[in-house]
Amino acid sequence: MSEVHYHEDHGAVAGAPLVELVDVRAAYGTIEVLHGINLSVPQGSVVALLGPNGAGKSTILKVVSGLLQPTAGEVRLAGRVVNGASADELARIGLCTIPEGRGVFPNLTVRENLWMATMAGVSLAEVEEIAYARFPRLGERRKQLAGTMSGGEQQMLSMARALSVNPSVLLLDELSMGLAPLVVANLYEIVAQVSQEGVSILVSEQFARTVLGIAQYAAIVLHGNITRVGTPAELEDELSAAYLGS
Amino acid sequence: MQTFLQYTILGLALGGAYFIAASGLVVTYTTSGIFNFAQGAIAMLAVFTYWQFRWGWGWPAPLALLMVLGILAPLLGAVLYQVVMKNLRGTSEVTKIIVSIGVMLGLQALATWVWNPTSSTPRQFQKFFGPKAFAHVGSLTIPWHIIISFAIAIAIAFGIRFLFVRTRSGVAMRAVVDDPELLQLNGGRPERLAMISWAGGSFLAALAGILIQPMIGSAMSAGALTLLVIDAFAAAMFGRLRSLPRTFMGALVIGLTTTYVVAYFPSKWTWSSAFHNSLPMIFLFIVLLVLPQDRLRGATVLRLRERFRMPSIRTAWIAGLTMMIVVFCLKVIMAKTGVNTLTLALTFAIIALSLVLLTGFAGEINLAALSFGAIAVMVVYHFGISGTGAGARTTLWGILLAAVVTALVGALIALPALRLRGLYLALATMAFGVFVSRMVLTERNERELFGWKFTIFTAGQLTIPRPKIGPIDFNGQDAFLFLCAGLFVVIGIGMVYLRHSGYGRRLTAMKDSPAASATLGMSVIRLKLSIFMMSAAIAGIGGVMMAAQVGTVNADRFDIFLSLALMMITVVGGIGYVSGALFAGIFLIAFIEALNLLLKKFAVDYSTLEAIFMFFVSAVTVLPATIGITMGKNPSGAVSDIVDGMNLVKQSKSLMITVIGLEAAIWVLTATEVITNWNFVILTLANLILVPMIGGKILMARAMRGVPKPVPPEFIGIDRPFTDEDLAAMDQALNLDGVVIPSSTTVREEPANASA
Repeated sequence: MSEVHYHEDHGAVAGAPLVELVDVRAAYGTIEVLHGINLSVPQGSVVALLGPNGAGKSTILKVVSGLLQPTAGEVRLAGRVVNGASADELARIGLCTIPEGRGVFPNLTVRENLWMATMAGVSLAEVEEIAYARFPRLGERRKQLAGTMSGGEQQMLSMARALSVNPSVLLLDELSMGLAPLVVANLYEIVAQVSQEGVSILVSEQFARTVLGIAQYAAIVLHGNITRVGTPAELEDELSAAYLGS
Repeated sequence: MQTFLQYTILGLALGGAYFIAASGLVVTYTTSGIFNFAQGAIAMLAVFTYWQFRWGWGWPAPLALLMVLGILAPLLGAVLYQVVMKNLRGTSEVTKIIVSIGVMLGLQALATWVWNPTSSTPRQFQKFFGPKAFAHVGSLTIPWHIIISFAIAIAIAFGIRFLFVRTRSGVAMRAVVDDPELLQLNGGRPERLAMISWAGGSFLAALAGILIQPMIGSAMSAGALTLLVIDAFAAAMFGRLRSLPRTFMGALVIGLTTTYVVAYFPSKWTWSSAFHNSLPMIFLFIVLLVLPQDRLRGATVLRLRERFRMPSIRTAWIAGLTMMIVVFCLKVIMAKTGVNTLTLALTFAIIALSLVLLTGFAGEINLAALSFGAIAVMVVYHFGISGTGAGARTTLWGILLAAVVTALVGALIALPALRLRGLYLALATMAFGVFVSRMVLTERNERELFGWKFTIFTAGQLTIPRPKIGPIDFNGQDAFLFLCAGLFVVIGIGMVYLRHSGYGRRLTAMKDSPAASATLGMSVIRLKLSIFMMSAAIAGIGGVMMAAQVGTVNADRFDIFLSLALMMITVVGGIGYVSGALFAGIFLIAFIEALNLLLKKFAVDYSTLEAIFMFFVSAVTVLPATIGITMGKNPSGAVSDIVDGMNLVKQSKSLMITVIGLEAAIWVLTATEVITNWNFVILTLANLILVPMIGGKILMARAMRGVPKPVPPEFIGIDRPFTDEDLAAMDQALNLDGVVIPSSTTVREEPANASA
């Protein structure tokens, strides 16, 4: 079993960690899917979780966001253990999560979607201002039901929330899912900007190329374990092995 | 003109009250995705509670209103959500419907328990400011109550719209339906919002009830009041459970048409009162018919918590044979009343089979099984009886004709089913059921149509004799018992065959994904129509048998609430299994009856504890509903639990021999009258439930000794190497009979083991 644990890599990431996972295990029902995850996201950096389908990337994000309680280990936010906190509590203290493929409420209008973002403590006027300035197309469609917009526009809407609520931590799950490459590139540009404002970002991706362009660190997730952590340059070679098998 | 204005105002007020009830439905449906069938029952309970405070105890009206509308009703809604509805996430539409029906039946039983309907003093419910408070507008005199009702309705319409569009909490309530998890990630609290909306929905139901009851003016009745608010379903459907303005319009149309019918239909039309009562249901049916097409779902595979195994044909034959033997053994020791009850239970089980076929196999819902039975009974009464007096017998042709006619009626009702699914179909069948109760079963007078004189439900009760098929006369109780048992077994085994056929697989496919089925080239329409017809025919046959067992049936035998209870208990028993239907019949008829008798017997035997036992007698009336409500926790049904327990018995020969041996001994003791029938029942239950439980524990403990802690499957090969047993278990799980995996050396050495 020992060959799949990389505890020693835990220290490889420098800087004061804002999000920290220590020996986190998590299970769906009785089936354990995370077998002891150690990971840190330093303040203001982008950390990418890479790995094939079913590796456990989304589950890691679920645990951090509070949607799934870990069965063992600790989740730390700015040094405090937040195990047991619910997702909405974490959201109100500055954790912003864009879930996989469905970051919007389809039966609410664009404006109403943005209104929901104000629960994290920002006023609606402020949210709308930031969102429409960054994505003018949303401004044109503020009264349209979100479910009737294109996939790219929906992703813009969910990103608009991430931009406007002023989070300290941003969790992004499979941002590129089902979107055209050009749109993806555009979205990651925004992610990079957000990170420059000091937000710590944890992002999971199957398509490594785009995200590695903006990530400071990457972790390879395989079978519920983190098998390797390093800078994008260090990981180039191992990535293909992780996806294709050595 | 004077009359017209007067009735228009009355109609608007009634429509307003309907709207308030309907808006409550919209609010709860919008936030929790659950259509609250119990809405009418909540209104009913509020009316009785208000009556108790206001006139029973003589409280002033404002205090009574504050207590009912301000405290009790919202509390009831919040508690319902927290205790019951919250657990329904991820369950199928059927389970959601059944649980809220359970709540409805439970509240109704509770009201009948607390406010005895046969009480000598009639309960009078008055309008606000008393019956003589009128406002004079021009030449019109209008009761203040009417004006208040309409004003409140308008205020509520604007209030709710404001809430849902202009307040963040209101928008968040709508967001909960779309994606509760995402709302949480936004920092919202979906559970709290849903609970608040249930409190609000319950408040609206209570308000509607208190406004409607004095407008109707009749005596307070739990059943009638519950159904009265159900009339509001039509309005809610008109707004497609979303749009409040459309709901408001629908409610006004219903309110106005029903009052105009009262005002303008000539009094010599004896059916106009029945028509007036069934109008909302006709309206509901039409709305469902013209409702824009529901999209075929199938893009996302719904992960449901329900799981049904498919029994093998061999198991079905063994079970059928066992059932016949058990019925015979029971008959030998049972008293005559016991045999009567058992037969009745079996006839209900046959009706429940129609539900298993329709809902369990095909995923469609019928909430009015007994109404199909009623139609079959009417056909048999008019066309299927030969002989008169004591010599009268139901003919085989009569039963077959009844089956054909009910199948055709089933096809007619299935018309909306061709486009609708789940909830909408359930409502369509319910509308049909209430329509039959209110319009068809009230047809007692002779009518003349094109010179042909006929009565439909002659004198309000029909006498159905026992059948005679060929040379065999089933007039005797024992013979009829075996006929019913045989019929159940034959239909049940037939259904298992059907389930295994290509047709059965197509049904399952349609249930899972109509869209995928259609793209594979199946005719979903033909499938739906045929399964609905088949199911209706079975319900019809069961209904005829039920009537033949009872002898003379009146409209109460086909009550919509009985249909709902049967559906609910079948789901509890396991809607996917033939045995679930048997469970439903036995539980609803025999078990409840037996429990009742046993408790009453105890009350007589131990007279000092009489009050306690009589309390439990009343509690038994709430029991089926309580069990229905628990469905949220185990949506696969009780039978599936029992089967899981029985698996232990199956696996251990010694345990099986013990159970069967003990049961035989108990039976012999009863047959030789050493012990009484009551002791037989108690000992049998103990034997079937406790022995496997204790025996299982002992066996498990013995098996566990010396065996290390089990390793989860995903760690086998990591924490410890694969063993022969692991490989065999894997082969079994993957259905790889006899496949030998050559990589393991131990397997290669002993190939016989690997295939075992």
